[in-house]
Amino acid sequence: MLNMMLNPIILGQVVVNGLSLSSIYVLVAMGFTLLFGIMRVVNFAHGEFAMLGGFALLFLYGQLKLPFFVAVLLAAAIVAVGGLVLERLVFRWFYQKMFQSMIGLLGLSIALTYSAVLIWDVHARSIPPAFTAILRVGGLILPLDRLVVFGVSIVVLVLFYLLIRHTRMGLAMRATAQDLEIAEVQGINSTRIYQLAFVVAIFMTALAGGLYGQVYSLSPFMGEVPLLKAFIVVILGGMGSIPGAAIGGLILGMSESFLATFFGSAVSNFASFGVVILLLIVRPWGLMGTPE
Amino acid sequence: MIDDTAAGAAVRSGAAALSAPRWALAGLTALVMGVWPLVYPHSFALHIGTLVLLYCIGAASLHLVARMGHISLAHAAFMGIGGYTSVLLVMRLGWPFALSLPAAAGAAALLGLAIGPVLLRLSGKYFVLVTFLFGEIVRMVFSEWRDLTGGSNGIFNIPRPYPLFESPVAYYYLALGAMALCVGLCLRLVRSEIGRTMDALREGEQLTECSGVPVLRIKVTVFVIACAMVGIQGALQSHFVHFISPESFNIFESLNFVVMNVIGGLTNLLGPLLGALFLVLLPELLRDYVNLQRVIYGIILVVVMAFLPGGLVELGRRLRAGGARLLGRGEG
Amino acid sequence: MGALLQVEALSKTFGAVAAVNNLSFQIEPGEVVGIIGPNGAGKTTAVNLISGVLRPSQGRVRFGGEDVTGLRPDRLVRRGLVRTFQATTVYATRTVRENVRRGSFRKRYPGFLHALLETPKQRAWRAESEQHVDRILSWFGLSGHQDTQAAALPYGFQKTLGMAIALAAEPKLILLDEPAAGLSAEEADHVRDTIVRIRESGVTVVVIDHNMRFISNLCDRIVVMHHGEELAAGTPREVLTDPRVIEAYLGKRHVAAQIG
Repeated sequence: MLNMMLNPIILGQVVVNGLSLSSIYVLVAMGFTLLFGIMRVVNFAHGEFAMLGGFALLFLYGQLKLPFFVAVLLAAAIVAVGGLVLERLVFRWFYQKMFQSMIGLLGLSIALTYSAVLIWDVHARSIPPAFTAILRVGGLILPLDRLVVFGVSIVVLVLFYLLIRHTRMGLAMRATAQDLEIAEVQGINSTRIYQLAFVVAIFMTALAGGLYGQVYSLSPFMGEVPLLKAFIVVILGGMGSIPGAAIGGLILGMSESFLATFFGSAVSNFASFGVVILLLIVRPWGLMGTPE
Repeated sequence: MIDDTAAGAAVRSGAAALSAPRWALAGLTALVMGVWPLVYPHSFALHIGTLVLLYCIGAASLHLVARMGHISLAHAAFMGIGGYTSVLLVMRLGWPFALSLPAAAGAAALLGLAIGPVLLRLSGKYFVLVTFLFGEIVRMVFSEWRDLTGGSNGIFNIPRPYPLFESPVAYYYLALGAMALCVGLCLRLVRSEIGRTMDALREGEQLTECSGVPVLRIKVTVFVIACAMVGIQGALQSHFVHFISPESFNIFESLNFVVMNVIGGLTNLLGPLLGALFLVLLPELLRDYVNLQRVIYGIILVVVMAFLPGGLVELGRRLRAGGARLLGRGEG
Repeated sequence: MGALLQVEALSKTFGAVAAVNNLSFQIEPGEVVGIIGPNGAGKTTAVNLISGVLRPSQGRVRFGGEDVTGLRPDRLVRRGLVRTFQATTVYATRTVRENVRRGSFRKRYPGFLHALLETPKQRAWRAESEQHVDRILSWFGLSGHQDTQAAALPYGFQKTLGMAIALAAEPKLILLDEPAAGLSAEEADHVRDTIVRIRESGVTVVVIDHNMRFISNLCDRIVVMHHGEELAAGTPREVLTDPRVIEAYLGKRHVAAQIG
């Protein structure tokens, strides 16, 4: 076993796998933590937006045959902008009401999932793989699709970072997250900021869903997994913390890749749950959060 | 936690006694519940009725925990512990149901006792998250421990407790008896000095502790009782439907219990009972349109949480208040 | 005669910050002692440490000769040590009477089974505690308001209610955390009179505040805290003329105005 672990070829696989998993998790968790940090909602319907992103990509790439990079970004954009309807109809009643948001958005999750079933039926389907090539670099085996997932995610995350840190809109978002009342007194239109944050968050989530669909199969029920992962990452990193979501996602993705490869997925699941529970008991505000 | 002034800032100075018309209504309902199977033993109605009764147990027991300000997303896990305990004792070890039922309650209570002191220290949202994950872990244990539980395929052909209970009418009365005992215990708890303390805990934990209340001890005691009760539901339900599997106790089942409490109303024991009735009946009414029914379920949840956070009980209160105003105007 | 409350080398650090550092003092039965210091001096942390809300990093707390360090607040209440809160802490949606009832928990709860089964003992305890609540309400002049919702009371009455809830537990010693904060001069005088009456009824009082005038008009002794440590201790006159206190806390002109 130890020999296997130290084998560079296998390690290389584990790392690449881990990076692509991490990037998907970071994207999903980032959206989740944004919605919590700014609007104080716990988006139990988060996974469904990933699912919609996957189905949108299936349509744009699988059916309309648009070029992959166009399709994947356009799919996410369509879900994000279309999601604004839901923002006005559903989300806005739950802003700053954490507990009500949990149950209400759970209702939304159920409504979305079974609407998808009505539209597309329950069967799993897959997006035609865009990149089947496998790079061989110095003995390491690197599947191109995983690298693309990682690459696209990194680009989007860097853009997100620039938005948050170096634009006025990003500043407004951070101000609203810190203190809504003061931000509004300063002239920030909270409704607009909420909508902006929503679009950004859902864009990243839907993108993650599309990328996820590259590697795994799509079904109306696939949203459950991204939601669970988002929870774990956000607990690890701290609810509402953006760097926390990045670090948490990286840790989860890499450890899952490692544990699943060598010990099986059951062990990997138990381990991540167990660690998270322990963390919630000992340090509930996560690695990067602040204790209340 | 949910602000119980949202349910109407009614000032209640202690355990409110039921007024005369309410006693009459309660008595009538109890009578109907007890008598209708003898008059109209339709097997489908009996099946639904039995399920409603069993879910009342779980919903009411979760109410106890929620009343202290803790929303648990692990309630179905304890139901599963009770279910599997009873099923395995009966089918593998040949125990009589009369012993396996208390054992089921005991097993669920033991797990609650083991984990309660750790979990109940956690505040609001962390408690929700940890119970969410704990519930998943328990379900995974049910799934992975194939030698014991049969894994994700579940266990089939679970026998009824005794030949007597093969009859749907008999099982209905068994469920009715269990429900009456459990809900009765919940009612007693809520209206006793313990109930007053539970409310105080929810409304101001620090103040309550500084008034001499052993907060953690009371939380754990009530929690253990709630776990035992839902363990009983698990046992009764598994023997009722002749089947048990890990998926019967997943996060959505736990959420169901929470939803029953929320839809019915969080501040009143009647709430979860109404919620259980509503949530067991609704799928049956839309039986042919399973997916549409779930979409509607979801939409109802959104609407209720957005506009009626106090649940159906609040709706009832508002309707009555509106009706009173209407009548007042009519007479004026 | 043993001291009722002994605080020995009490310390509490949060990360790198020592909110309370090496604090020691004793309270004799029947005293009214003040703990004073500017905001951030560590007064409320000290109260939290003594009352069991926080666990000390170091040091000991003894009550009635018994080491009670680290015990949760309810265990301390059982031994006769209660506290009030800086921010008015009452059960906002409940009536005044219900608030006081909840404060008298120890007198109305013989045990879980008794309460659950509504035994005769439970009923007897409850009947007696209702009389106790009546006494507390009338002692504080709240009888006329007993059916008013606590949130509807004026701020001064809410603070009084906070004290009533604490005294309903029949303590030997009460820690009052900023009892006059946010009150007008008239209301503060009323609080002062109430504290004098509490002392006369046999309860030892520790008052925490930042208002030097209020404290010096009320207390037998004062402990001055600064940056989490004891700066000076003694009678009001001694403390007000202590150069360290003057330098750290008061300007010279203020001192002249306070004394006399």
